[in-house]
Amino acid sequence: MAKSIIVIDDEEIVCKMTEMTLTKEGYEVETFVDSRKALERIKEKKFDLVITDLKMEDVDGMQILQTVNDLYPDTKVIMITAYATLDTAIEALRKRVFDFFPKPIRIKELKKTVKEAIGE
Amino acid sequence: MKNKLYLYLKELNKKLSIRQKINFAILFEATIIAAISIFIFLTVRTLLSKVKFVEQFDNINIYFLEMRKAEKNYFLYHDINSLIEAYNKGKFVAGELNKNRKVLIHILTKKIYNTLNYTLNNYLTTLQKIKRSPKDKKYTSSLREYGHKLTDLSIHLIKRERKKINKIIHHVTLMILMSLFGIFLAHMLTWRYFSYVLTKKLIKMKKMTNEVAQGRFHEVSLIQSKIKDNVQDEVGIVITAISKMAKELEKREEQLLQAKKLVSLGVLISGVAHELGNPLNNISMLSEGFLTYYDSLSDEEKKKFMQDIQEQADRIKKIVRNLLDFSRQKKPELKVCKLEEVIEKSLALVENQLKISNIKVHKNFPSSLPNVQIDEDQIQQVLVNLYTNAMQAMSKGGDLFIDVFTSDTKNNIIIKVRDTGIGINPETLPHIFDPFFTTKGTKGTGLGLSVSYGIIRQHNGKISVESEQEKGTTFTIELPVYQENKEE
Repeated sequence: MAKSIIVIDDEEIVCKMTEMTLTKEGYEVETFVDSRKALERIKEKKFDLVITDLKMEDVDGMQILQTVNDLYPDTKVIMITAYATLDTAIEALRKRVFDFFPKPIRIKELKKTVKEAIGE
Repeated sequence: MKNKLYLYLKELNKKLSIRQKINFAILFEATIIAAISIFIFLTVRTLLSKVKFVEQFDNINIYFLEMRKAEKNYFLYHDINSLIEAYNKGKFVAGELNKNRKVLIHILTKKIYNTLNYTLNNYLTTLQKIKRSPKDKKYTSSLREYGHKLTDLSIHLIKRERKKINKIIHHVTLMILMSLFGIFLAHMLTWRYFSYVLTKKLIKMKKMTNEVAQGRFHEVSLIQSKIKDNVQDEVGIVITAISKMAKELEKREEQLLQAKKLVSLGVLISGVAHELGNPLNNISMLSEGFLTYYDSLSDEEKKKFMQDIQEQADRIKKIVRNLLDFSRQKKPELKVCKLEEVIEKSLALVENQLKISNIKVHKNFPSSLPNVQIDEDQIQQVLVNLYTNAMQAMSKGGDLFIDVFTSDTKNNIIIKVRDTGIGINPETLPHIFDPFFTTKGTKGTGLGLSVSYGIIRQHNGKISVESEQEKGTTFTIELPVYQENKEE
């Protein structure tokens, strides 16, 4: 069965490109521009991997991370961030963030990191 | 002629200081009082001389009466002494008449004086004739006739002079009353004038200082140039000083603003980095995806990729333009144009967004508006900014009113942009033109209204805001009307 991945970013292009790349790699991908809707979806369904932007309006990346940790302790989370301050980085790592994606996101790296995270 | 006098007075009004005006008013009143005093003095002097004359003439009249009494005694008792007494009295009066000839002629006129003198002489001659021939009845009747005439005349004259005195007293009383009233009136008018002039100017000053207090220095420095009949009196000097102070403050404020800009630059740069980071990341991902999946993409998909890249580039362009607009406030490139056309063009730019946001536009322009000299792009930018704010305030739809009209003075065109949105809270209101002030979180740069304010100011105009929460917000822009003769 294909592994499921949820991608949350308020930039539509990021969602679209990540979806395109990961679908072609054979994953089952759902994308959300609206982080609140994504949070609802996470509560409904257990994904194998969560990729989320850190800085978003309304619900931010740290909240998503918190929820995932609470509900599915074995699900890995990858953070996308333009710039992470040391504080958020430490906090995120403590909460078991698998990796950081600095912007701009490179497609090759995306593929590689996802593979490592899901461990196929 | 009347117009000339008015212009002259107006000119004088401009030139004189308040102190000089007060001095002038006091001098004027003093002159009037002096003139009235002199008049009263002269009248009273005439009155006194008349009274003196009446007194003298009373004496003469008594002599006449005594003379006639002696005359009657003579006719009753045929006593020659009475005749002599009558003669002596008459002679005495004749002497008096002669002595005061000049004065009497002056008061009685020469004709009456002569008649009096002539009658008296005739009386005396007749007396002498009777003395010589007492039996002659012819002289008796003419003596009585002359005597009668003399007493009549003197009584008539006294009555006449008394009447004159009464008349003069009456006139003097009236004159004094009228003068007092006149002085009172002049006083009231001067008082009214000064209180009017002073309060009017002080109110203007209050307005100016209020504007200074609220930090609207530019408006204050404009006030003075707007006062057409700028009188250089004490208050005028203070107004000029306030206006100069405001100009200085405005300069300082600009320097301060520049400094503030530099300080905020750090904050801005991190914001900009974030703002630019997103579209850059998008472009990067799109182009990499395009290259990676080129072979598997259909023509349509390839086109879409390029369109997306283009859009992201536009996004960057917009951010950079906003930044540039803020960092160097461009000098407006002024062109004479019709404001209503500029407004229509600006509306066309946001037409779709307005439609989507369910906002109805109500335009109210008069059929003919005077031209303005503006930088069309900049004014459009300001207007679009106001529409955008209005749209954000009316997220559930509403009405956008755009009213354009000429000010009462015909010197300005006023544009009112009113929305029926959520309004601005009173604590925020004074800061909305401050740079970097925003209520929109990460969605706003806090530069829109600040840039708009700068643009309108560079057009020598004014922009202000009124707002009521839950009712809506009105932005008012004032732009000076283009005056052809002002062109070099």
